[in-house]
Formats: sequence, structure tokens, C-alpha cells
Amino acid sequence: MPVLGGPVTFARFRSEPGKKLHAPARASTGSAGAGGSDTRRWLAKGLTSGAFEPLDPSKGDEERAAGFVELEDHEATSFASVIQGEYALFAFRIDTLKVPGGAVRAELDRWASAFEKEQGRPATKREKAQQKESVRHLLRQRAVPTSRVHDVSLNLKRGQVQIWAASRKAVDEIVAALEGALDLKLSPLTPSALAAQAGVAEGALGPTPELVGLELSKGEVRDGEA
Amino acid sequence: MARREQARAEAAFQRGDAGVDGLPTEEERRDEAELEKEKAREQLLRGRTWLGRELLTWLLWRSESTEPVVELDGAGITVVFAGRLTLRGIAGDVTELVARGALAPYSEQVRRSLDAGLLVHQARLRIEHAEKVYEATLDAEFLDVRAGKLPELLTEEEDDRLLERLDLSERVSEIVDALVGAFLEVRTSRAWRKKTVPALKTWMREGAKAG
Repeated sequence: MPVLGGPVTFARFRSEPGKKLHAPARASTGSAGAGGSDTRRWLAKGLTSGAFEPLDPSKGDEERAAGFVELEDHEATSFASVIQGEYALFAFRIDTLKVPGGAVRAELDRWASAFEKEQGRPATKREKAQQKESVRHLLRQRAVPTSRVHDVSLNLKRGQVQIWAASRKAVDEIVAALEGALDLKLSPLTPSALAAQAGVAEGALGPTPELVGLELSKGEVRDGEA
Repeated sequence: MARREQARAEAAFQRGDAGVDGLPTEEERRDEAELEKEKAREQLLRGRTWLGRELLTWLLWRSESTEPVVELDGAGITVVFAGRLTLRGIAGDVTELVARGALAPYSEQVRRSLDAGLLVHQARLRIEHAEKVYEATLDAEFLDVRAGKLPELLTEEEDDRLLERLDLSERVSEIVDALVGAFLEVRTSRAWRKKTVPALKTWMREGAKAG
């Protein structure tokens, strides 16, 4: 687990309280008040609302489940001891369950040969389609979901958020989940965002032609930024 | 040649996609190059990535002196580029160049490429601050920290070690912010176009000549 050991890889954000966030929790996301009982309640409530719920292969057709889990126990979602020092530490778990197409085909071919021997005729398209569904269902029950877990550390005093993931897709998903569950606004700490925070006018920071190697029109730059 | 392959080649020739030699026509080759350039341009402009690239290029230039780039909490931050360096650009035919080797970042080949309009997109940095040494790979688009190495932990209790590790990780983040701050101060000043950019270009050309 990256927060606990190994090479350090994380995406960097600054958190600001969202519009709906109540006062005590607002105080704990950027200034004093970290670790108080209000903060614990706010975190537990928010993380529970977006908690991970495991896939049940016997029910439904869902192939993916994602949500918050505890840092050191990826099965636990009570979030009772989420605060350590000035940090809130938890993780985001993404499970996927896929039935390999090749396995379905192989199982179906075996069934089709046995059917032909037994019945003295090949199976019809409809019979094959029905069998395919039941094979898929059966294999799904036997399949083991693959699980990926990404740690999250939120400095309650300074409002810094670190998402310990290398994949940008995962980072974006976790940002959306955090903003929804904890009513936070996360801003990436990119040069552009830091310039905006420092009050630098957008137009003042166009590409430097001598370095980029050519002059880009303002319109092209504006369109390309989005 | 198999019959199916022959039919496919003939059809491509009929459509004008391939010449008599079976190779793609000039038009198709040009389209591919244009698509690549379009993609490179998108990558440069998306999320103002050029700012991150200019920052890393400026930092490479500043780091060569081995003097502190900026101070954070009273201690200087010294940066050395180490190992793999990725350059990207939109001006010429080369849109990406990867340089490997311990001294690659400061090599004449890299400086020549920078002079031709490529900028540093990703780099491995060794950072020294307050007698502690950190390592991290930074990319221009997000300035995420990748494969970072932290100074050795001093505490022994497991919980304390975790907090120390988190504090050091956050320190890396603060150092990156301080470097960005130093860059933005220069980048938004009048000196950027009048002094810094000409000095950068001179450094690039001097390196190229030295080779």
C-alpha cells in the first residue's frame, strides 16, 4: 500500500469546502479544528455514503463496483479510525468482474457437440443463445473480481489532498467521488491552477513563441485549453 | 502472395491509397503526420500544459548552476535532473524525444533539441532541501509525483513512521509548489521576454555549439 510503504506516487490537489458543507467540517478542511468529533462525524458520514459495496456475482449483471474503504482493511467500511494526526486516511477500491469471452465460447462449443451427439441434430440459433446466457451466468458465479485499491490522504489542517494512484482515469474517478461524498471542491496543483490562485490574469500566460518554436494565435490557444 | 492479400492490394491501388509498389501514397503518409502533429498540439494546449513544459525547461537551465532555485522555510531548494528526460514539441517533425543516460538532461543533444522547439515534458529530479534528499519524476501536465523516493525515516514507532512518511510526501508537494511559485514570479515579470528567454536560448545554443 503506497501510503504505508514503497515508492511514492500521487496526484496533488488542494481542497476547499463545498457550498453545502456545514461550519465545523468547513473549519477542518483548511484551517484549525482537525480531528474534532464534528470532523470525525463529517468524514464517517461522507465516506459511508460513498462506501464500497462488493459485487454479488449471483445477483444482477454489474461488472464493476467502486467506493471508499478503510486504509488498512479493504473489506471494512466503518471508517471509525480514519483520522491519524492531522490526516484523514482511507482508500478507494475498484472491483471489476469480467467473464472472458473465450471461456464462454469454449464452454458453448463443448455443449453444442454434446447436444448434437445426444439429439442427433445441431442446436438451433435460439437454443445456442439461451445456452450462452446460462453459461455466462454460471461462469460469472465462478469468476473472482479483480481488485485495485488507491489510497487517499487528506491533510485536514492544510487542505492538501493526495490521491495515491498513477492512472489518471482512476484519479479523476476518485476526485469525483470525494467531491460528492465529502462536499469538497478539489483543485489540481498545476502551474496553471497555481497561477490562477495567485491572481495572474489568464491572458498573461500564453505559450512563449521562442521556446515553443512557433507563434500560436490567441484563439487557437483558448480553444485548445478546454 | 495469397489471393486475398492480392485482392486487398489491388483494391487499395484502385482507391488510390497505395502506389504500384504497394506502399501508402504520399497523401496518406502526410495525413498520418498531420494527425500526429494535431495530437501534439492538443497535448500542448490541453490544461495549459505549455506552462508545465516551460517550467521544467526553465528549471533544467536553472539547475545547471547547482545553486538553490528558491528558498522554502529558510532553506534553499537545489535541483538536479537525473536520468530519463522526455521532450515534446509541435514545431518540427519530431513530436517526442526520450533521452536516457545519467548526464542526458544536460547533454548537447538535449540542448540542441530544446533550441529546435522541443520542451521538457517529463523529468526525473533529485531535490535537496534542508539537508534532506528527495527524488521524483514530474510531468508537465499535472505535476503529479511519480516513483518518488523519500529521505530515510527517523522515527521507529509504526504510527509515527506513517505520519513522518506523510509529512515528507507533503514536503515534496510543497517543494514542487515553491518551484512553481519561483517560475511564475519570473514568468509573469517583464524580465521573462527581455532577459530570461534570451538567456535560455543562448544556453541552448552554447550547448549545441560545444558539441
